Amino acid sequence: MAKTPDDQRLELLQGTLDMLVLRTLQWGPQHGHGIGQAIRSQSDDLLRVETGSLYPALHRLVKRGWLKAEWGVSQSNQRAKFYRLTPEGKKQLAREESRWTQLVNAIGRVMKPVPAPGTEE
Amino acid sequence: MRILDWLTRRRRDLDLDEKDFEAEIRAHLTIATEERVADGADRADAHYAALREFGNVTRTTEEARRVWTPEWLERLRNLLSDVRYAVRSLARNPIFSLTVIAVLTLGIGLNAAVFTMLKALALSPVAGVRGSSNIAVVYGETNAGRPLRLSYPDYRYLRDHDQAFAGLFGSAVANVGLGRGRNSRVIWTELVTGNYFQILGVRAITGRTLLPNDEIAPGRHPIVVISEGLWRRDFGSDPDIVGKNIEINSRTFTIVGVADPTFHGTTVVYDVEAYLPVMMAPELGFTFGSRETTAAGIFSDRRATFFYPQGYLRPGITPESAVAQTNALWTATAGERPRADAPAQLRIVPFRQTPNGAPTYILPTLIVLSAMGVLVLMIACANIAGLVLVRGVSRRGEIAMRLALGAGRRRILRLLFVENLVLAMPGAFLGVLLAANGIPVLVAYAEALAEPQRIFFNIEVDRFVIGFTALIACGSAVVFGFVPALQSSRVDLVAVINEDAAPRGAARGRMRAALVVAQVSVSFMLLVGAGLVTRTLEAAKNAYPGFDPGQVVSVALDLKQSGYEEARGRRFYRDLLASMRGDSTIEAATVATYEPMNVVLTRAQAVAIEGYEPRRDEDLTYLTNTAAPSYFRTLRIPVLAGREFEERDDESAAPVIIVNRTLAERFWGSAGAAIGKRMRVAEGEWRTIVGVAGDVKYLLINEPPRPYFYLPFLQSYRPDMIVHLRVKGSVEVAARQAREHVAALDPDLPIEFARPMAGRIQGATIFFRLAATMLTIFGIAGMVLAAMGTYGLVSYTVKQSTHEIGIRIALGASANSVVGQFLARGLRLGVIGAVIGIIGALAAGGLIRSVLFGVSATDVVSFARALIVVLAGVTLASVVPAWRAARTNPLSGLRHQ
Repeated sequence: MAKTPDDQRLELLQGTLDMLVLRTLQWGPQHGHGIGQAIRSQSDDLLRVETGSLYPALHRLVKRGWLKAEWGVSQSNQRAKFYRLTPEGKKQLAREESRWTQLVNAIGRVMKPVPAPGTEE
Repeated sequence: MRILDWLTRRRRDLDLDEKDFEAEIRAHLTIATEERVADGADRADAHYAALREFGNVTRTTEEARRVWTPEWLERLRNLLSDVRYAVRSLARNPIFSLTVIAVLTLGIGLNAAVFTMLKALALSPVAGVRGSSNIAVVYGETNAGRPLRLSYPDYRYLRDHDQAFAGLFGSAVANVGLGRGRNSRVIWTELVTGNYFQILGVRAITGRTLLPNDEIAPGRHPIVVISEGLWRRDFGSDPDIVGKNIEINSRTFTIVGVADPTFHGTTVVYDVEAYLPVMMAPELGFTFGSRETTAAGIFSDRRATFFYPQGYLRPGITPESAVAQTNALWTATAGERPRADAPAQLRIVPFRQTPNGAPTYILPTLIVLSAMGVLVLMIACANIAGLVLVRGVSRRGEIAMRLALGAGRRRILRLLFVENLVLAMPGAFLGVLLAANGIPVLVAYAEALAEPQRIFFNIEVDRFVIGFTALIACGSAVVFGFVPALQSSRVDLVAVINEDAAPRGAARGRMRAALVVAQVSVSFMLLVGAGLVTRTLEAAKNAYPGFDPGQVVSVALDLKQSGYEEARGRRFYRDLLASMRGDSTIEAATVATYEPMNVVLTRAQAVAIEGYEPRRDEDLTYLTNTAAPSYFRTLRIPVLAGREFEERDDESAAPVIIVNRTLAERFWGSAGAAIGKRMRVAEGEWRTIVGVAGDVKYLLINEPPRPYFYLPFLQSYRPDMIVHLRVKGSVEVAARQAREHVAALDPDLPIEFARPMAGRIQGATIFFRLAATMLTIFGIAGMVLAAMGTYGLVSYTVKQSTHEIGIRIALGASANSVVGQFLARGLRLGVIGAVIGIIGALAAGGLIRSVLFGVSATDVVSFARALIVVLAGVTLASVVPAWRAARTNPLSGLRHQ
């Protein structure tokens, strides 16, 4: 497991955790620990999700009906609570992705302005 | 209930499943540990690393819970925990808590019941009619102030000419027989004018109501509107009722409609079951004292007075201008009224003041009851304040501890407030329950007593009144309890922690003294009220009614309901009495028009006394009865001079009359002097007085002696008579046998009732006794409450002074001197309270006078009794705790706290 020095870790932007959780669960049901690990490994250890934030987020998503929680057994034969995307959750993920893309583009334009043709008309 | 269901259903959505979450966290830690172990770590290290990585479990749980639980639910939870705490701490003081609950239950229940009745009578005296309290009633008044009904021609003139009223209707209540023969029963009807239903705004639920067109020709409108109750009970709510015929007083009437179910007629307390056109009165046998023989004659006779015109005033017309306008009309037409004792003027009063109407009897009693109810509630509140104050002492430690641990004063006050609320709620709830269930029980009881006559009380369980009473009582309990609670929260931390529990400042002492004085004075007033009523009941029980109702059976018959004419009726009564007198179990038998102690006002007639010129404002109109021979013997009314009626006093003999002692003494000075003198009744022939009978309670046990006279049945026949029998064996058996005597002569004749007289008299005083019982309950409840309250407050003082008592005893003071000191303190407050109470009781005397009989409102015995009870209560409440404190070991007193 690659280690990244603490100072290189990134703070999660407000409101992005939900999206990351939904995205992670697109590959299939996963338990809380698994979700945290997945986010961490897929971000090359740059994003670490505190369990203190992860579990409230999971419960929030369940309450809104985007996730469904069920007890199950993990690959290593451990009992765990698995979270699964609901059809509503899939729609929500699509909405958040498009919003995220817009946001990234907008921020990108502000940070690195490319003079477009005909801008100074 | 629904809220509970909803909460249960939503519980999963509103709350974190903690067990499940714990399991989830455990699973998380296990997996994280196993991963590390799989990577080669030591199991113990792996476990700790996983725990470290996870961080603060409690905080995570809190966060997760916050996701599920909205803020309001969190606040509710805090409140509920306060409530739980309050319930627990109150349950630890069961006597205190149960006392407060009992006090409030009684206070709220009684007050709500009384106010419900008061509201019904004052605001909606006529059920099913909107704004019925605004109906104005017109009646005539003699120079002597006696109310008089009006005749039909006078009514019609006012109806057509009086511009003060938007319309005037008339209605006379009457007893009639419904059905034919032995299956018939007696019902209340109203004989009404054609505009009756229109003015009242009462509709028919089937068919039509009576209309102005039903008031055209005397004797020619054989139609009837029946009540919804009669329709339901007798016709099974037959939808095809309109057009069916019913027999009323043996005449056939066609049903044209069924009145609205909420409407029970305009005669308060009577359940009217049918409405007949007034024009049909002569057909039913009612002549209203007229000497005319034809229906048309009766309706043009100004002497035939039988109802009070009533209606709503036109908008903008004040009662004063209505009186002026109506009297102007009256004076202008005075020439058309020939009668010497015609009303000199007309009066107009609100419906509830209808002369001799039920509300005029009931309202004064209700007002006394509600006043006493408020006093009880006041004591209850003072009591609760006292109890909370006392409890505050033992809680000083607890409250100081809470403050020291950092609880805000707001939080503490909220806790105390919740406690008071928890304390007040069960009492309020039970009080509402008591009122809501008590009112129908009372009404049903009164209805059962009135059987076979149907009565109706326009008293519904008024949710608004009950809720309001409960709110006021609950609110005042909380407020009264809150003030001492506020004081309890103002604890001097240093003082308490230094174990110094002595009272600080004079404020609390003053409040305590004020509470004792208030409770003593209010309970003194209640005790005086209860004492006066108890003395009234004693006086009523011991009062001799002037006759002997034991072993007397009365059987009511009305021959006009079976269409008997006079000759046949005379023959019937003669044969019936002969057959009954032949029965060996019957000691004496007679007939009379009215029973004594009739409760409801009976017929009064104007008389003239030979050789006596009445003053201008004098009204020689007296109650009267018609009696057959043996009447005085049957009822054991003493004949003081002369003789009683005999068989020889018949139509062919000289006209005779018997007067009572009061009438004889009024005009001739003594019973003996009246014999042989002459008087005439209603401008009839001169009658010779042949006997003077003892005074009787003619209407109510608490009436003053009044002039009264008796006409001989054989010389003044009436079809409706009550057979009086004095029997030897069981009165119940005799009542059944009496029915057989009647049936043997005419098997089809309806019998209105056959019952023991004593039972009826007992029932007749029910309202009076009910009121007295309630007043006594109020009085006793108030006294017990005040005694408990005073005891509690004095014990509190003693408790606070345990230290002082210990020092005094240790320094050689005797227990007696210590007790004496506390007694003096208590008595000082008791005397102040009693003095205030005496002033209050004297001031409120006028209020209670209307329900008293045989005692004055300033009765010394009642006042003395109340004073003794109050001072004894204060003495006991002071001495017992002081004595207990003085007897304890002085050292333990010093160590106390």
